[in-house]
Amino acid sequence: MEQIWYTAAAWIGLALLASLISIRIGISVALVEIFLGFVAGNLGAYFGSILFVPNAWINFLAGFASVVLTFLAGAEIEPESFRRQLAPTLAIGFVSFLFPFLGAMAYTYYISGWNLQAAIIAGIALSTTSMAVVYAVMVETGLNETELGKLILSSCFITDLGTVLALGLIFAHYDYWLLIFVAVTVVALWRLPAMSRFVFARWSGRVSEPEIKFIFLVLSVLGALAVTARSEAVLPAYLFGMVVAGLFVHDKVLIYRMRSIVFALLTPFFFIKAGTLVSLPALIAGFGLLVILFWVKMVTKIIGVWPLCQVFKIPRRESNYITLLMATGLTFGSISALFGYNYGYIDQDQYSILVTVVIASAVIPTIIAQVFFQPREVGLRREAELAYYGTVEHFLHTADE
Amino acid sequence: MFRKILLAYDGSEGANRALEAGIGLAKIHGAELWAVAVEEKLPRFSGTIDEVKEAKEFANQHFGKLLAAAKTRAGEAGVDLKTVLRPGHPAKTIIQVAKDGKFDLVLVGHSGVSGVWAAFLGTTAEKVSRHTPCSVLIVR
Repeated sequence: MEQIWYTAAAWIGLALLASLISIRIGISVALVEIFLGFVAGNLGAYFGSILFVPNAWINFLAGFASVVLTFLAGAEIEPESFRRQLAPTLAIGFVSFLFPFLGAMAYTYYISGWNLQAAIIAGIALSTTSMAVVYAVMVETGLNETELGKLILSSCFITDLGTVLALGLIFAHYDYWLLIFVAVTVVALWRLPAMSRFVFARWSGRVSEPEIKFIFLVLSVLGALAVTARSEAVLPAYLFGMVVAGLFVHDKVLIYRMRSIVFALLTPFFFIKAGTLVSLPALIAGFGLLVILFWVKMVTKIIGVWPLCQVFKIPRRESNYITLLMATGLTFGSISALFGYNYGYIDQDQYSILVTVVIASAVIPTIIAQVFFQPREVGLRREAELAYYGTVEHFLHTADE
Repeated sequence: MFRKILLAYDGSEGANRALEAGIGLAKIHGAELWAVAVEEKLPRFSGTIDEVKEAKEFANQHFGKLLAAAKTRAGEAGVDLKTVLRPGHPAKTIIQVAKDGKFDLVLVGHSGVSGVWAAFLGTTAEKVSRHTPCSVLIVR
């Protein structure tokens, strides 16, 4: 029988351990959480323990985490750089979604013999690009501040939009609930920037956090409607993030508080859960398929993205770099696979293979891009750019003013 | 003899000894003195952009304070210390900054790290001394 506090202690203890390991080795906490979840889940299965078997409240926290993660990803768009490089951004981002989606779907359906729904989930999960992985790579060289960097990030954004649209629309039931969901979402997206501006200006910075509760309320209401329509809650979350992106950038207090809640309480449950469901026996049995699906993702990304970079006259080294970074994946791939597993479109073996391919795609193309195709950058930066940055208190204080 | 000196600075005891040596050498040679701090261990393969941003902000604060203190110390000794803050792998970044900035001397504090890791992987000072194209002084 489950005793809720033992379970909570075990999961939170694992999350703490993941944080400490992440800080020590410089690998993202998300990846460490998935790995520890994988180890704990498989050990639990081996010894017959249910401590790391996701239950209702863990499923809720993990589900809410995926929605908030998607919202935060949507809020990362920089409309200005997006507009400046509209054509290449749209083209590269769209192709980066479409080719792997079709390729992975076709392979798993026609060759691996997965059913159509499972094949669609495979296509969606492997079509993703990780904006966060790409951003982390580019921060090291300052490339995120250049036009090339902004082009890559905006393209990732379009690819992710393709992913959430596919998740939200392919599996939806086309009935009147979907109509209601679409109508409410459209009106909400139209009015939400003004409403959010009002809420943030009127109540921001209070100890009872009304602005964060407002965001969570919107995510919950739109999520509820989406799920009723058999769509997916991440779709309106991503769109909501997009329309309030401009407001978010200027409210550092809100960002810090959101991050505190998300990283302390929500994302550990999502990533650890994602790891616990990865079955070691399934990985051993399906290792060949795992390798093939990894290459399907890489090859389809290369076939789609690289020629387009040439069309837009991006130099060869930079084209290679963009292509490899567009082939990364992590959070959205995991969200897609978990969506498929939660709704029963894929089984645990298929889930295990998809998530592992997604994680491999976070690591391998990134390392190749950094080692062999790093765009050549810059000498010493100006001293002014490197000035004293202030403390967290400084940020909070100035943001309040 | 030396015109442009680069100090690898992480606020450690060894780095502070290197700072003092750098101040002395800059005065003797009338050289420019720069300090580079490397923000290592920013999260790789991140799940969210916010994780990277927050880690970077934390590192900016930490190393920003260290560099500001070093600048003040150099200023007290009558030397203008210019500062550079870069994310990345320590040795690789120091070497790259030394190459890009055409420095003719790199100062590295001896960390005093010993044991298994240093024996197998080498210290930052060792790597810098092996691969930097200019002179390297390891300050003990």
